[in-house]
Amino acid sequence: MLLTRDDWYELSRDVDWELDHVDRATAFPANWTGADGIPEQAWDAWEEPFRVSYRDYVRLQREKESGVKAVSQALVRSGTYEKLDPGHVAASHLHMGTTCMVEYMAVTMQSRMCRFAPTPRWRSLGVFGMLDETRHTQLDLRFSHDLLKHDPRFDWAQKAFHTNEWGVLAVKNFFDDIMLSADCVEAAMATSLTVEHGFTNIQFVALAADAMAAGDINWSNLLSSIQTDEARHAQLGFPTLQVLMEHDPQRAQQALDVAFWRSTRLFQTLTGPAMDYYTPVDQRKMSFKEFMLEWIVNHHERILEDYGLAKPWYWDRFLLSLENGHHAMHLGTWFWRPTLFWKPNAGVSKAEREWLREKYPTWEDNWGVLWDEVIANVNAGRMDKTLPETLPSLCNLTQLPLGSAYSRHELAPHQLTYGGRLYSFDSEVSQWVFELDPERYAGHRTVVDRFIGGEIQPMSLEGGLLWMGLTPDVMGDDVYQYAWAREYAALVETEAGALAGVPVAGE
Amino acid sequence: MALFPVTGRFVGDFVPHLVAVDTEDTMDVLAEKVAVHSVGRRIPVPDPHPGYEVLLADAPVPAATTVGELGLQPLQWLDVRFRGHA
Repeated sequence: MLLTRDDWYELSRDVDWELDHVDRATAFPANWTGADGIPEQAWDAWEEPFRVSYRDYVRLQREKESGVKAVSQALVRSGTYEKLDPGHVAASHLHMGTTCMVEYMAVTMQSRMCRFAPTPRWRSLGVFGMLDETRHTQLDLRFSHDLLKHDPRFDWAQKAFHTNEWGVLAVKNFFDDIMLSADCVEAAMATSLTVEHGFTNIQFVALAADAMAAGDINWSNLLSSIQTDEARHAQLGFPTLQVLMEHDPQRAQQALDVAFWRSTRLFQTLTGPAMDYYTPVDQRKMSFKEFMLEWIVNHHERILEDYGLAKPWYWDRFLLSLENGHHAMHLGTWFWRPTLFWKPNAGVSKAEREWLREKYPTWEDNWGVLWDEVIANVNAGRMDKTLPETLPSLCNLTQLPLGSAYSRHELAPHQLTYGGRLYSFDSEVSQWVFELDPERYAGHRTVVDRFIGGEIQPMSLEGGLLWMGLTPDVMGDDVYQYAWAREYAALVETEAGALAGVPVAGE
Repeated sequence: MALFPVTGRFVGDFVPHLVAVDTEDTMDVLAEKVAVHSVGRRIPVPDPHPGYEVLLADAPVPAATTVGELGLQPLQWLDVRFRGHA
């Protein structure tokens, strides 16, 4: 009689080696497993919820792949890409350039779990995670390759992580830290539980909804397909947290608190501008803040409560950052637009500002007044004043600009001296993370560190752009060629007399 | 005389900048070098212009003081604001 899956599943999944020629600590070093201080038998309680066999996995993944490919082939032939709003298209450039190689880094992380995770159950399931992430990398590359003939920016799906583009360096720094350098237990807390279970929802659910509304069915379909995998393999984090809570709850709290803050800051950069500025206003489903509160904050609070953990000490600061951080990143990226490989939409036309005011009551006072000066310069033809002449100061933890965590009203110095040099931080929270393990972060040099160290030559914005690999064919500029500013020019004309040479809406 | 990097924030702007100053620069010169990245770009130019003042750790620094006299660390934070701004 043929055995059912339940008859053999656990035996198959739990197969382990009896080690004769090396001791266990040599084969599974604690700095790779992350199991230091946790008794070996504690991992017997590690129970995964999804119970999938290799045969089931292959069948399901094959079906998913067929679905994505069929949609993709039909849509590439139908010419839908050419009809998309250019503001929305910029979001896909940003996503592909900053995410594709993160998927590939996740292959390495999952393969480390296959080899070094402290229980054979986890090692077996790591195989599926590794195959998932390989599929995601390939999906992004295929999508981008199909569209390369329309725009060289899709080349950055593969190229970005081989450049020094500042935003990419910030993304790479984070994932180097939590995927490639972290032990299995920390990677499960930071990547599986925090990034994959929580924050990928915003990239793969929220952005997928916006993409669908914008008519980008191909990209939306790809994002949704990826999310089905993320939702499954992210579950690795829960049994790991369960074990950690029994034996080292303080470590669990700290790992989650660090990962939650760093993830917040990263997704304020990657997804916030795309949702609240690049997506055409009539096609936005939710604001970035609304989505974060419903999908990320609620999820995270529930996990903390279910496992007996406290909210992070910085919760009030996090909520303040949620109101502001992505607006700062958006103004910053738009102002430093030559340093981007996509074309940002300013997203501050009158109709868009009305939407921003409704979603973020403090937006005008925190951000609108700064945009007003930019708009005045655009309309007066002073384009040099809408462009940077130096670098923003950068955080030695997140690698993001100082000032990009909150609004201008909260901007304050967070600096400390360690090992004879001064380090700067975008917030008291990032400084706290650094101080937990300064040796880990002290050697991570920001673009500013490299600039003043003489690595960027000539020492000018032009030298910086060259060093970042930004060529004229991909270099960022306003995606609508500043057309959105003209309605304000008409207002200025009415209020203060004619502005010579300034076109107004309708001309 | 030597180039020296500071973190310069113009009060009211949202981001501080990497600003290359000279150790011989007075605070008036430093203020101009910091302000140029914010005033007229994201901060409106006031009319009349009141001039600038520099603050180190929230304390105003006399205008004639030079960068070298402050004993700063590289990338130390300095604030610049319109004179008379409370």
